[in-house]
Amino acid sequence: MIRLYDYLLSVNCYKQRLLLSILDVPYERVDIDFYPGWEHKGAEFRKINPLGHIPVIDDDGYVLWDAHAILVYLACKYDPSGSWYPTSDPQRLGEVASWMLFAEGTTNTASAARLHVNLGYDFDLEACQAGAHRLFRVLDEHLWFREQQGQAWVASGESPTIADIALFGDVALSEDGGISRLDYPALRRWTERVQRLPGFIDMPGIFPVAKAPA
Amino acid sequence: MTITNGRRSGAATGPADPVAIDQWYAITALDEIPIGRTVRTELLGVPMSYCRDHDGSPLAWLTQDSLPAGAPVDARTLHAPLPTLADYGYLWTTVGEPDGGLFDIPETAEPDRRILNAGTFGIFTSGPRAVENFLDMGHLPFVHPGVLGQQPFTEIVDYQVEYRSSEIYAVNCLIFQPKAAAASTSGQMVNYTFRVPHPLCALLYKSTPEDDVRLDVIGLFVHPIDDGRVRAHLFNCLLDTVNTDGQLRRFQQGVLAQDKPILENQVPRQLPLDPDAEAPTRADKTSNAYRRWLSDLGMTYGVVARSNS
Amino acid sequence: MTAPDPGSLLHPVAGCADLVPRHVVKARLLGQDLAVWRADDDFVNVWADRCIHRGVRLTVAANDGAELVCPYHGWRYSNRSGNCAYMPAHPSDAPPRRLRVPTFRSEERYGLIWSGGSPEAEPPRLPHLEGEDTLVLRALPVNAPPDLALQGLLEWPCQPVPAPGDGASISCDSAGPFAVAVTARTGGTEEAVVHFVQPVDGGRCVIRPVMRGAPAADRRLSILRHHARQLEELRTRLESSAGSPVAVRGPSTPLQPLRRPTATAVSGRAPQLEVCVARKWLTAEGIAAFELAPVSGQLPSFQPGAHVDVHLPNGLVRQYSLTNGPGLTSVYRLGVKLEPDSRGGSRCMHVSVHEGDRLQLSEPHNNFPLRRDAARTVLIAGGIGVTPLLAMAQTLQRQELAYELHYFAQSDDHLAFGEVLEPLSTGLVKHLGLSPDQTADEIKKITHDYGTASHLYVCGPGPMIEATRAIAADSGWPEDAVHFEYFKNESELHDASSFEVRLARTGQTLVVGPGVSLLDSLRDAGVDMPSSCEQGVCGTCMATVLEGELDHQDVFFNDSERAAGDRILTCVSRAGGHKIVLDL
Ligand code: FES
Ligand SMILES: [Fe+2]
Repeated sequence: MIRLYDYLLSVNCYKQRLLLSILDVPYERVDIDFYPGWEHKGAEFRKINPLGHIPVIDDDGYVLWDAHAILVYLACKYDPSGSWYPTSDPQRLGEVASWMLFAEGTTNTASAARLHVNLGYDFDLEACQAGAHRLFRVLDEHLWFREQQGQAWVASGESPTIADIALFGDVALSEDGGISRLDYPALRRWTERVQRLPGFIDMPGIFPVAKAPA
Repeated sequence: MTITNGRRSGAATGPADPVAIDQWYAITALDEIPIGRTVRTELLGVPMSYCRDHDGSPLAWLTQDSLPAGAPVDARTLHAPLPTLADYGYLWTTVGEPDGGLFDIPETAEPDRRILNAGTFGIFTSGPRAVENFLDMGHLPFVHPGVLGQQPFTEIVDYQVEYRSSEIYAVNCLIFQPKAAAASTSGQMVNYTFRVPHPLCALLYKSTPEDDVRLDVIGLFVHPIDDGRVRAHLFNCLLDTVNTDGQLRRFQQGVLAQDKPILENQVPRQLPLDPDAEAPTRADKTSNAYRRWLSDLGMTYGVVARSNS
Repeated sequence: MTAPDPGSLLHPVAGCADLVPRHVVKARLLGQDLAVWRADDDFVNVWADRCIHRGVRLTVAANDGAELVCPYHGWRYSNRSGNCAYMPAHPSDAPPRRLRVPTFRSEERYGLIWSGGSPEAEPPRLPHLEGEDTLVLRALPVNAPPDLALQGLLEWPCQPVPAPGDGASISCDSAGPFAVAVTARTGGTEEAVVHFVQPVDGGRCVIRPVMRGAPAADRRLSILRHHARQLEELRTRLESSAGSPVAVRGPSTPLQPLRRPTATAVSGRAPQLEVCVARKWLTAEGIAAFELAPVSGQLPSFQPGAHVDVHLPNGLVRQYSLTNGPGLTSVYRLGVKLEPDSRGGSRCMHVSVHEGDRLQLSEPHNNFPLRRDAARTVLIAGGIGVTPLLAMAQTLQRQELAYELHYFAQSDDHLAFGEVLEPLSTGLVKHLGLSPDQTADEIKKITHDYGTASHLYVCGPGPMIEATRAIAADSGWPEDAVHFEYFKNESELHDASSFEVRLARTGQTLVVGPGVSLLDSLRDAGVDMPSSCEQGVCGTCMATVLEGELDHQDVFFNDSERAAGDRILTCVSRAGGHKIVLDL
């Protein structure tokens, strides 16, 4: 069984829980006392991940870290439909890779602002917020044009991919870091679409949405 | 309870609200403070810094240029040291002149209590909004579903609010909880008592499966960075022998993280004290009493004061 | 010419296409935060973005298609009126009508939603856009004051469509105080885009471009992209020059929410609402359905179980339950069964009231409130008694609360409001053509397993209600878990007695003679007593009793309420002895 080294309030860990839930894959959580224990920085945990960060998965002895890399692995291995990581379609795969890199940017801005505000991490809040707004403008425009083409997700095509999962957490929790989504109506509609996916689970900080009309 | 530093002398700094200024505030859990290294923060908008001295005792001072964040500290070179208390596991300080020490939590003297800071979170809200949220029962089924409350069991039956030696008590507060105790298989009504001994500190007493008589104590101690931003400390003083520190923290942090976005979406951030500003119901008796109490104290910081008309 | 106060105009706040189902758009106009949402009936609500309970933004609320649900304490606010429809902390209370979110104008034009504080203003009509299809281009929020954006747009000869050649002559003209029209002419063709500027606040705005004409599908996307790219360029320019201080033009007064005509509370029998019969149809054998629309303003809000008094053209007053489910706030929908022994009420409704007629109504009253905190809710309807239970069932269904609606009727043809019943499918159980004994057996089965937090609601013919109450009591249902509403009082009234009444507050003493009701005696003495059914059914004419034995003849109170003897329905009940004292 997959073991996920996890912290309830980590967005990057949440991305894994979300995908595992959507794919309906059983797993076991190992709670890391991220704060205030900083257990992931301790010698014990560094034996598992020398970089000292979570999430990490251990899939029957196969150990992998880095949130977005784990998403790739999980989707390839546990999504028989092949739609979450579309390896058979070079163009869509390219888009997914591109937006996954973009998600590194949202992690380093929006989610960094959140760590600063919540836990006092030593980041420049204003720089993080400004950086997140720059990226959100791009993403909002991208999603607006997707809608104009009758499509709902970050990468082209009919179904969501792990790029949606990678971006969703950073966006949905941005207000924790003082980043309002007032100016991003397409982004707000997209987060609700993600929240209505079958198997969706939330994490503390995400407001529930009403069901889609029958 | 000891005051480890002398009283601050010199001009008052911060907001023109003696009620807010002349209070002790919990700044950080003692065991989270680095030894001999500066940490900068603000209290009531006043830049201040703190660390622990090499003997472990807490130090706090008005921020000075020569000590940037992380700088090594020599207690003798502080220009404007602030008084400190080391109580209930936290460093407390003040930028005013409090009338005496801190409120008493007698349960902390019991030897079998687990006392810990379950977590500290920064939230964009005012101190009074954060405290009011802690005192609020009606939100439990909506904001903490499946844990501290459950829909559709949303009724708040009448309870009593009392003033005892200038503190607020709300007693016989009943709420249906799906997981009142770790061992419960079905939900049950639990009985809470709330206590407000300080404008920005509140305590909650709750029965525990581990003791028939004594109660678990959970507290919210607010550190007001300014009038729209706080750090909220979750204080635990429990009779729990089952859960690890990590489990207790996960639970409490999860709860606080659910409240955070609610607090950050309340407008205005400051708590309106005018009875007409927001529409209370009978379920909000405690929060009404708290608003009136702040108003009577003359608190103006972090609130929208009552209009005089 | 002096510029008009922006607060006196309507401005765009969203694109119509932004209002997808079950979503709440976050907007800001002239410093006022707004929650904009479309209900399932397509009505667009523009509300102040703030829950009146504890100030939480309603843009984080859930839009369930009929109501916005605040995430903090679950208060529900109704489509159109903005009235609080339910406060979960007090499941048996009807929220006071004054609990209402401030609401603003909402108009649709040119694919945009327009709002503002003025009751009279209209969205602008521009010759550039009239009489043709329009295409809403991508709107762009700009961190620069509205004035600066308007100025920038005037100096920005953008080609609205991808270069049809360099020879285009482009003109930018002001098209009203908050719009700039761009026209490009090449050869015989002319393209026009109007840029509406939504004044967000002193330092920000949203540029909302609308293009004339609907381009062919294959050009559409390239036009959208082309324009978005150009606007993006303008934004960069505007935002870099916005660094320097500019004159800020805000509204001189804060945005005024819509003022709705509030029905003044008049007691006695005076009607308070004028409505028009918008629709009348035969919904089942012998049952006429009516939709009553307000002649002006909005209908007062109500909770499931409520009824209104209808003042009939023939002078009679009758109570009819509202069948409306959540979200249906534009009309009151009721059902009237033609009673063979009608005193003239149902006959008049069936025969003399037609579509287009006007009727006078009371405000809704609710003596049959629905709790929404039950683990199980059982609704038992006999015939026309289904009407209040339909409102309840729709409410429970929408909130996904467990319920059963047991509908007893003669036959399929006697089932009213089929279109409402259909979507209830899971909770609905029909019991057709049963004798009274079979009905009682059925009710025994339904109620045999009482569990805590269960509630039973029954409405129908008197004998059926009595049977249900008795059966439920036998099966262990506590009295306060059994709720009932009689449609009429079928018991014979005894009014032969004569007695004395003292009014504690005024000190008056009256004598009520045989054949005269206590209510009429009170009114004769100048007491302004409200009343409605005057049959001991509705509870409107209730008075508090301070002293004296009572002879209850109503069907309103349950047994323990009767035994308490502290309240009396003055329309039918009398003193048991020779004197009572009322708190009047
Ligand atoms: S704040 Fe909205 S329901 Fe209480
Ligand atoms: Fe809470």
